[in-house]
Amino acid sequence: MNTREEVGEFSKLFNGFMTLMRRFIFKVLCVGPIPNHISFIMDGNRRFAKKHNLQDLDAGHRAGFVSVTHVLQYCQEIGVPYVTLYAFGHDNFRREPEEVKCVMDLMLEKIELTIDQAISGNLNNLKVIFIGDLNMLNERLKAAAQRLMEVTEENRGLMVVVCVAYSTSHEIVHAIRESCVKKCGDGDSPQVLEVSDIEECMYTSIVPDPALVIRTGGRDRLSNFMTWQTSKSLLHTTVALWPELGLWHLVWAILKFQRMQNYLQKKQKLD
Amino acid sequence: MDSNEPMLLLSSRIGQIGDLGLDLLWRFIHIVVSLCHIVSGITEAIQSYAISLGLIQKYTSIDIEKLRCLAVVVDIEVARDVSKVVELLQWLTTIGVKQVGLFDSQGLLKKSKDMILEMVPGSMLLQETGEKDISPDRKGVAIEFISSSDNKEAVVKAANILLQRHLKSSHPENDDEGENVFTETHLNEALRVVGENVHVPDLMLVYGPVRSHLGFPAWRLRYTEIVHMGSLKYMRYGSLLKAIHKFTGVRQNYGV
Repeated sequence: MNTREEVGEFSKLFNGFMTLMRRFIFKVLCVGPIPNHISFIMDGNRRFAKKHNLQDLDAGHRAGFVSVTHVLQYCQEIGVPYVTLYAFGHDNFRREPEEVKCVMDLMLEKIELTIDQAISGNLNNLKVIFIGDLNMLNERLKAAAQRLMEVTEENRGLMVVVCVAYSTSHEIVHAIRESCVKKCGDGDSPQVLEVSDIEECMYTSIVPDPALVIRTGGRDRLSNFMTWQTSKSLLHTTVALWPELGLWHLVWAILKFQRMQNYLQKKQKLD
Repeated sequence: MDSNEPMLLLSSRIGQIGDLGLDLLWRFIHIVVSLCHIVSGITEAIQSYAISLGLIQKYTSIDIEKLRCLAVVVDIEVARDVSKVVELLQWLTTIGVKQVGLFDSQGLLKKSKDMILEMVPGSMLLQETGEKDISPDRKGVAIEFISSSDNKEAVVKAANILLQRHLKSSHPENDDEGENVFTETHLNEALRVVGENVHVPDLMLVYGPVRSHLGFPAWRLRYTEIVHMGSLKYMRYGSLLKAIHKFTGVRQNYGV
């Protein structure tokens, strides 16, 4: 065997060993309670690009997408049923137009890649849903997102909710509008809204409230993300930038969740 | 079939031993995690005392003008000890905080508001001050008492106002959708009409076992920095100074 083949063989063995180690770690982690729904605020892509002197406008976001694939794989292996990713906020549209276009183009590229994987059966039964004000997206991106949702609709594995053009304040106003229109259309019921009417019309009505919210990048705010749905959630921040988020960060967050599980359950029962 | 039974029994026993091993390993990991938290807690306590004694230079002066509105979230069980809440408010007054939104999900602090206002020198209820009174020269702290009823229920009340406006302004027979009353501005206005404060706190201090906003009004939480301070029972002045000082160094980009 020449050196290149030896390196290739060693690499395969090493990867196999790391996969086994990872599965063992997850097996130990799963002795305790696992969050039913984890939301990720994926912050830090631009700082990552700056830190590593990456020149392209989308370099940080490309690195961020690699992180997305790892995190989803880990969550699937751990057995988390729902994951939400805060991909692009409503307020992010106020960034420089070139940057916004770059991110939209990257999203389109990755969605089309994912569609191909879904069609060829390489998506591990993932179900992907896009939520947010999708009318703010360009037609091609909107159509691609719709197509990905269609091809993964029957999948029953990990449900991945991707928030695009999303903010809680917009979601609340949108839900109020939809519930008002519904009430007006339903002549028989009294013209009074309840909490349940509004919650039914929220973008996030398709998933339970998150048990754990993980924000990367070291910032301590929710940035207008799921503030309505996170009253009983453990909010966890890590200083690692999103492209740097690894196995141990996720394990640490889940260990923290397990420590607090009794308290969080008590709070839910109290309400 | 008989020869399979011992094998099945053996594999079942091995499975049980394996599960027990995993369980012990999981408990051991949690003991290590708890030890890490204890060590971190001790370090935090030492640093906090050093800050209180003025030994750490950078915490001796704080640009308090940057903190226009502070929210304090208190866990319901701990909120039964109102004296600790009063002590915290006295500390905040000393530091120079002008406006505090005090939240507990069950509204226990709301019920004790008269007692709290009496015991905190120079304090007043926020509604009495009105927005124009919150000037840097005004002495004392304006306190707002918030509970879960100011969260989803308040938004629903505001939504019903918008519904009535929508019904009044639209004329289905003319295909006229009327004025668009479903905007963030209109919702803000409707929340004010039902008596809610819509200002977004700059900083939120969470006193409880867990870093969670516990149902603080969602509409007001958009870009609020949320800091976990630990249990109210073991609160420390130095930690409070440190949290406020750290906030004054934060750079907000509001998504841009």
